[in-house]
Amino acid sequence: MTSPFPDSPGAPPPPAGSGHTTEDLLSRYATGAIDGLSAWSVEAHLMACARCRAALSSYVDARRLARNRSMILVRTAIPAGGRVRRLLRRCGIPDHVVSLLAATPSLRPSWILAVMGVLALVVGETALTSHGWSGHGSSGAPWAKDYLAQWTLVPYLLVAPLLALAGVAAAFMPMFDPSYQLTVAAPFSGFALLLVRTTSALSAALIPTVCAGLLLPGPRWLPAALLLPSLALCAFALAAVTIVGPIAGAVSSGVLWAMPAVLLVVTAIENRSPLEIVQWRGQAACAALLLAATVVFFLRHDRIESGPDRFGIRRMR
Amino acid sequence: MTVNAGTVAVRAEGLSRRYGSVRALREVDLTLGRGITGVLGPNGAGKTTLLSVLATVGKPDAGRVRVFGLDPGDRAERVEIRRRLGYLPQELGYHRHFTVAAFLDYVAVLKEITDRRRRTEEVARVLAVTSLEHLAGKRIRTLSGGTRQRLGIAQALLGGPELLILDEPAAGLDPEQRLRLRELLSNMPGDPVIVMSTHQPDDVAAVCQRVVVLLHGQARFTGTPAELAATATGHVWTAGQRDQRAHLSWRGGDNRWRHTGDHRPAGAETVVPTVEDGYLLLSHRPSVR
Repeated sequence: MTSPFPDSPGAPPPPAGSGHTTEDLLSRYATGAIDGLSAWSVEAHLMACARCRAALSSYVDARRLARNRSMILVRTAIPAGGRVRRLLRRCGIPDHVVSLLAATPSLRPSWILAVMGVLALVVGETALTSHGWSGHGSSGAPWAKDYLAQWTLVPYLLVAPLLALAGVAAAFMPMFDPSYQLTVAAPFSGFALLLVRTTSALSAALIPTVCAGLLLPGPRWLPAALLLPSLALCAFALAAVTIVGPIAGAVSSGVLWAMPAVLLVVTAIENRSPLEIVQWRGQAACAALLLAATVVFFLRHDRIESGPDRFGIRRMR
Repeated sequence: MTVNAGTVAVRAEGLSRRYGSVRALREVDLTLGRGITGVLGPNGAGKTTLLSVLATVGKPDAGRVRVFGLDPGDRAERVEIRRRLGYLPQELGYHRHFTVAAFLDYVAVLKEITDRRRRTEEVARVLAVTSLEHLAGKRIRTLSGGTRQRLGIAQALLGGPELLILDEPAAGLDPEQRLRLRELLSNMPGDPVIVMSTHQPDDVAAVCQRVVVLLHGQARFTGTPAELAATATGHVWTAGQRDQRAHLSWRGGDNRWRHTGDHRPAGAETVVPTVEDGYLLLSHRPSVR
C-alpha cells in the first residue's frame, strides 16, 4: 500500500529504479563516502525532492552533525578571516603565532593609538617650534649648522627609544597579561612567547616612530639613527629581566634611558649639537650594548623558560 | 584511604612555603591517585598555594614534589608535566576583548596545539562539555561571573589533561551550574587525576573519592569523605536547648538545636554526622603539631 503522503517526512527511501536516490547512495552521501560527481547528482535531486530529503535524515550521524555545527560556531567566533590576520599569514607567519599576537598588549588598538598620539604631539611641537611659533625659530640656516633648530629635535630623540622600551616592557611584565598564570602553567616555551611578543612590540613602536621621524624638519637620517639606540635599550631590558626579574629589569632600563638626557645636558653646556649623541660614537656604544645584551639574553634565556614563579627560578630542595 | 603505590600520580613530601611572616604551607605530605581529591579548608588555609605548587606555577621553600614521577624542578620534566596538566587558577584573568572561542584558541596554542583544525575541534569539544557553545562568539567582557568561571573550567579541559587542578571551580556558579560541574567532573573521559580546592563540604561529599583538610597550612586530615564524616561520630547531637559548650550550634527549621562539640548536652539525641560536621569539628580542635 502506498502512502497517501508520499513526500511526508520520515517516508522510507524508494527502491532503485523509482527515479529517487537509492538507499545506498543516500547512506554514502550522509557519511561522506561518495565521489564528487555522485554527490552533485544527489544534491541536485535533493533540491527538488522532499521525500529523499526526509529519507536522508535517517542516515545522518547526529553526533557528527553536532560536532560539525560546533566547529562552524567556533570558526565564525575566531576572527580567522580578519584583514590583519590574513595579511600576517600571507607574510608567512604561522596561524598559531597569529593567535598569540592577538594577546600581545602592544598590538591592541588602544596601545597603538597612544603611541601615535605621543608621536603626533612630538612632531607637532617640533614643527611649531622649528618654524619660530614659540620664540625659538629657525634663523634659516641649514640644519647641519643651526644648533638652535637642532635642539627642537630633543623630544623626538628622547621619546623614540622610550616608546620601543614601553612596548617591550609590556611584553614581559606580568601585569600586562591578565592570563599570565595560564602562560606559566602551559608547556609553550616562555622564551618563544617573549620573543614573539617582543618582535611584535618592536614593530608596533618602530614603524610609526620612523614614519614620524620622516615628517620632522630634521635630517633625513635621523629616524634610522634612532633604530640602534632603541634596539640596544630593549635588548638591555630583556637581558636585565633574565638577571633581576621583570620589574627591576624595566626599572634599570628606564635608568639607562636617562643616559641620553644626561648627554644632552653635557652637549648643551659645551654648546654642541644634540644630534652628536646619535652620531658615530653614540652608534658604536649602542651597537656594543646591543651585542652584549643579546649575548646575555640568549645565554640566560633558561631563566625566562617559565619555571616556578617564572622569573625567580630556584630548584626545589 | 591509602593510594596504591602503582597508581600514585602526585607525591609531595614536607612542602613548606612562607610569604613574609605568614607560613602558607607547613610540611605538607600528600599522595594522590586517580579520581577526584578535594582540598578542603577555610580562606587563607594554604589551598591556593598548595595547588599552585602542584601545578608547577608556585615553588615551595622546602619539600619535594613528584608529578607522574617527574620533578617540576627540572626544566624538561616540568614541561612534560605541563603537557599533561589542566589548571584553573583561583583568580584567572581574561583578555576581555577576546571572544570565548578566540580565548580558548589562544590557550590551546599555549598548550602546544598548533594545528589549526585540531585546535578548532578541541575548542568545539570543550565548549560542548561546558555548555558554552552558544556563547562562542561573545566577547568575554559581556559574560557574567558564573559564565566566566565555566570558561575557566573549559580552558583547563583543553587537550584532555591527565592531571586537572581546579582552584575553587565552583566559585561564582549558581546551584544548577554547580550540579553541572559535579556531573562534568564525575564523567570525565580518561579517568584523570583531579584535584579541586573548595570551602564547600557539600562539593567534597558529592564527588570526591579523597579529601585533604588543610588548616593553617597543615594537612590535618587525609582520607575518604566517609572517614572525615566518621571522625565526628558521637560528637553531633540535636537538643531542645542551646549548649554553650558546643563548638558550633544552630537552630534548624524544626526548632531543634544541632550541636557539634565534645560534650553531649543533657537530653540530646546523637545524630549521624556529615562531612561538614567532621570538617567543622576538625577545624575547631587545636593542631596536634
